[in-house]
Amino acid sequence: MTEAALPVVIRAQQQTRASSLRWFLRKNPRMLVGMVLLSILLFVAAFAPIIAPYDPIKVTIGDALQPPSFQHWLGTDDLGRDVFSRVLWGSRISLSVGVISVSIGFFVGVSVGLLAGYLGGTFDLLAMRVIDALLAFPALVLAIAITASLGPQIQNAMIAIGVVAIPGYARLTRGQVLSVRSREYITAARTVGVPPFRLVLRHIFPNIANALVVQATLATAFAILAEAALSFLGLGPQPPYPSWGQDINYSQRYLANMKWWMSAGPGIAIFIAVFTFNFLGDALRDALDPRLRRSG
Amino acid sequence: MARRFSRVLAILAVLALVLAACSGTPTTGGGTTSGGKPVYGGSVTFAMNSDISNMDPMLSALFVDRHLMYAMYDSLVRVTPKGEIIPWLATKWTVSPDGKTYTFTLRTDVKYHDGTAFDAASAKWNLDRYRLTKESQRLGELASVDTVTAVDASTLKVDLKAPSAPFLSVLVDRSGMMLSQKTVEAGGADFTRKAFNAGSGPFILTEAVKDDHYTFKKNPNWWGTAANGDKLPYLDQVIIKPITDGDVRLTNVRTGQVQATNAVTGKDVPTVKTDTSLVYQEIAGIGYASLVPNRTAGFIFAEKRYVQAVSYAMDRDELLNKGPAQGVGVVGYGPIAPSHFAYDPNFKPFAKPDIAKAKQLVADVGKGPLTFELLASSGDAATLQFAQLLQSELAKADITMNIKTLLFNDIVALQQKHQQSGMTLIGWSGRIDPDGNVYDFNYTGRPNNDSGYSNKDVDSLLDQTRTATDQAKRKDLFLKAQQIFVVDDPARIFYSFNAAQLLTAKAIQGFEVYPDQLPRFQTVWVQK
Amino acid sequence: MTTYILRRLLLMIPVAFLVTVGIFVIIRIAPGDPILTYAGEDPNPETIAYVRAQLGLDQPVPIQYAAWLSRALQGDLGRSFQTHQRVTEAIIERLPVTFELGAAALLISVTVALVVGTISAIKRNSAVDLLTTSFTIAGVSFPNFYLGLLLILLFAYVVPGHILPPGGFTPFSTDPWDNLRRLILPAITIATASLAVNLRQVRSSLLDVFGLDYMRTARAKGLRERAVIVRHALKNALIPVVTIIGIQIGAIIEGAIITETIFFIPGIGRLAVQAIPSQDYPVVQGVVLVSALSFMLSTLAVDVLYAFLDPRISFGGAQA
Repeated sequence: MTEAALPVVIRAQQQTRASSLRWFLRKNPRMLVGMVLLSILLFVAAFAPIIAPYDPIKVTIGDALQPPSFQHWLGTDDLGRDVFSRVLWGSRISLSVGVISVSIGFFVGVSVGLLAGYLGGTFDLLAMRVIDALLAFPALVLAIAITASLGPQIQNAMIAIGVVAIPGYARLTRGQVLSVRSREYITAARTVGVPPFRLVLRHIFPNIANALVVQATLATAFAILAEAALSFLGLGPQPPYPSWGQDINYSQRYLANMKWWMSAGPGIAIFIAVFTFNFLGDALRDALDPRLRRSG
Repeated sequence: MARRFSRVLAILAVLALVLAACSGTPTTGGGTTSGGKPVYGGSVTFAMNSDISNMDPMLSALFVDRHLMYAMYDSLVRVTPKGEIIPWLATKWTVSPDGKTYTFTLRTDVKYHDGTAFDAASAKWNLDRYRLTKESQRLGELASVDTVTAVDASTLKVDLKAPSAPFLSVLVDRSGMMLSQKTVEAGGADFTRKAFNAGSGPFILTEAVKDDHYTFKKNPNWWGTAANGDKLPYLDQVIIKPITDGDVRLTNVRTGQVQATNAVTGKDVPTVKTDTSLVYQEIAGIGYASLVPNRTAGFIFAEKRYVQAVSYAMDRDELLNKGPAQGVGVVGYGPIAPSHFAYDPNFKPFAKPDIAKAKQLVADVGKGPLTFELLASSGDAATLQFAQLLQSELAKADITMNIKTLLFNDIVALQQKHQQSGMTLIGWSGRIDPDGNVYDFNYTGRPNNDSGYSNKDVDSLLDQTRTATDQAKRKDLFLKAQQIFVVDDPARIFYSFNAAQLLTAKAIQGFEVYPDQLPRFQTVWVQK
Repeated sequence: MTTYILRRLLLMIPVAFLVTVGIFVIIRIAPGDPILTYAGEDPNPETIAYVRAQLGLDQPVPIQYAAWLSRALQGDLGRSFQTHQRVTEAIIERLPVTFELGAAALLISVTVALVVGTISAIKRNSAVDLLTTSFTIAGVSFPNFYLGLLLILLFAYVVPGHILPPGGFTPFSTDPWDNLRRLILPAITIATASLAVNLRQVRSSLLDVFGLDYMRTARAKGLRERAVIVRHALKNALIPVVTIIGIQIGAIIEGAIITETIFFIPGIGRLAVQAIPSQDYPVVQGVVLVSALSFMLSTLAVDVLYAFLDPRISFGGAQA
């Protein structure tokens, strides 16, 4: 309806764009699968309060430690809470930690990388030493140290994981900037007098965007695993809010008693979420980088 | 008139103590020999739930350190499972009528593992070291000591600044442990981790690998004998392993890698009870668990009715049976444990949760609903389970308890400065004399008084428990004080006593369980 | 080459400095007081104050750092607050353990990756290839601490005979068979995460190499397929694998940290995990310094190895 009102030229462009997306997906079926998985994940996270059959926090001690049944698809934990509901709600925390921490790493890392790559000189030297220092820290130790010092809360886990993600982005961005910087069209733009900010934004950034998107997706996968690991060590989001890693930590003492469902739920959930992002990132890398497509 | 009467009482009490100390040949514990005649030889591996901090009784701060110390060191006196103090390195002792001077007669046949002899001079050196060294952890326990004198090679005299009824019980544990001066001084700063050949106990430490294992071999020249006259110890070797994870610990016991442990998680108890290859013993311990409200001015719980409200709203039975303890332990209302002489089984002020009363108390204060913060140690699954269960119980009385998790260190720091806004969860491993469970925690200004509590009547009653020498009188004073600091003006909220557990493989005999949970290996033997 | 190595070694100094300052500050942010905690059950205020002064913890942070640094340069990393053991001694005791665990994991990971990756590259797009590609991503996605737990349970309760014990450690010198037995499960746990990446790397570099000119020449010469692969392809495919190993060293340290905790292995990782929340400053500082140095040295070693394998690489300019 709206389409008819638009000028013909724009309509043609839109059609090409839409069909190019369809073409893109058809040529890369794995992207399609990845996007579907991601949508399911996001849907669950967004609508968990509605989908979840029980309140994930309410303690009903009488129902504790029930194996999976029709009423409780994944059984109940040691305080009588429905494991399935906790897993659904847990997706919100794990996904938000993943996304936010990667964003922190992204913004700080990319900014540093862009500046270092573009400005060069002393700034580059200093910035890269700081990045090297961050890299030389065993990542988990750094994350543990930051979370332990700031306090074991969810926001601090996000900061810690974000900080750990910074070097990856910084290095990647800087590398890309360095390789793009010497290209002809950049030199041309500079000679013409394009201001540096717009140069970076309009010309450099789009060229490295592909690599960054792939990195971001893979980094989210890593962030979710890192949050689970931190929670497992007792340093992540704290009870009573459901978090996958924390629920595994919480219920691992029952594994020996063969009460497997309490940790199976969150364990599989972590796996599915991380798998989704890894799969998607992998598919993106294959799709966006023509060089690698040969081996796929 | 009254004074002479009380002096007579005092003399009678002292006589009673002396008679008790002198009666019978000093034996070093019975041990249950259920499976026939004890045989010599064999090795036992024991798992404890945490690694030690150090092996020097002067610096030791952890409960688990004592597992090793009881095997390799001897103390001046020891205790039976019933709580009676028995002779050990000291064969008998007398107390002066004013209660300020203790004279100990020491054994003359004791040699340290490094060959040096134990005598009164050595005992004096040890006691002075514990009470005069600046970084000693035993300063508080020995604060009442004025001077220590070695009268002759086998007589030790201790003068106190003021009579202290719990003094003898303090010498049972670390403050009374005797070490060889030669080895301690030679060890220097590394001694705390490599305490080889420093003690005189039934076992000699031969290997110490942090976080992994501690190996002891039999001391063939140990002086102790069993009730039937056998020379102790029976075992050739003892290995103590720290295994922090409850499941791993239990798995090790069930697969035979470990033959005994004193820490079985509540949820595993039903399983071990039905396992015919294991023997499980459980008695009431001397430790307690408590909620510590901040009772200093300016904080929510300065208002005592709020503390009482929480105490009434809690369901102690549910917490013990459905919480992480899973029924292991005993419901308690105060710090005086069932095995203490001052225990009153009829003291049950909060037997059933009283939601109506809790609501009434909060309403009486008139400032609206009660909301407070509970600090719990992060990452500790059992504590967090407990906290959430408690949260749901209090919610029934419209009390909102928010759980805030912090690192254990941070909680300790806050508590020490009395800065916690609401409550914390702290227990106490327990001491043989009720004084060790009560005094420092409820007396104004004492370092372990984490709630910042202050009540003049309690202070005065507790001071009297230290100077009174008659046990019945002390019991009466303790109970009077308990009524105040538990019910009328609560210092803390007590809710349970721990259980002393002992899980052994069937072949292990002669292993007794003590209320202080510590293993005594000298009477243990392995059935072939 | 030597100038390159020297330059890298020199650059390690400011980085190490930044690392130590960083951890020094971070662990002191926490409001807790380690002395108070280590005072244990009977805190005596005089004892605490005395001990604090002895350890210099009442000084301002920069002075504390300067003191620590000057001692560290002489090889003295201080003593643990908790155990009073010399930190240097503790690290020397535990580093070989982590090293052995890491080496075992690396061995498993690289061997399996080479074998399966080669097969996968040869039989490209077949069922085997598809399976391995999916396994690749799956392996990386599974939380390794959970895998460790499941493995422990599997061998403790499901597989009869208790052939693989639930952790612990016996030194190689005491009992070699027990030592290896106890390392198998934790090594597998660590290897699974990096296996996926290695596998992919072997596969894609082999595929790259397959299409190259000299391969065609070799085939044209009439060499058998297997000889072609082994002699030419594999050798050149090893270059990126070596790089990957370099990156994997970091991942292996990560894996070791969690795995040592679950399997109760007395290595460096577990030392760090215990020391950080309990604010055992000297231990944390020592461990971080040592692991940062090891990491930087091993990446340098890998880069040098890389240069030997591929003479086309030059080290003159700035690296990305």
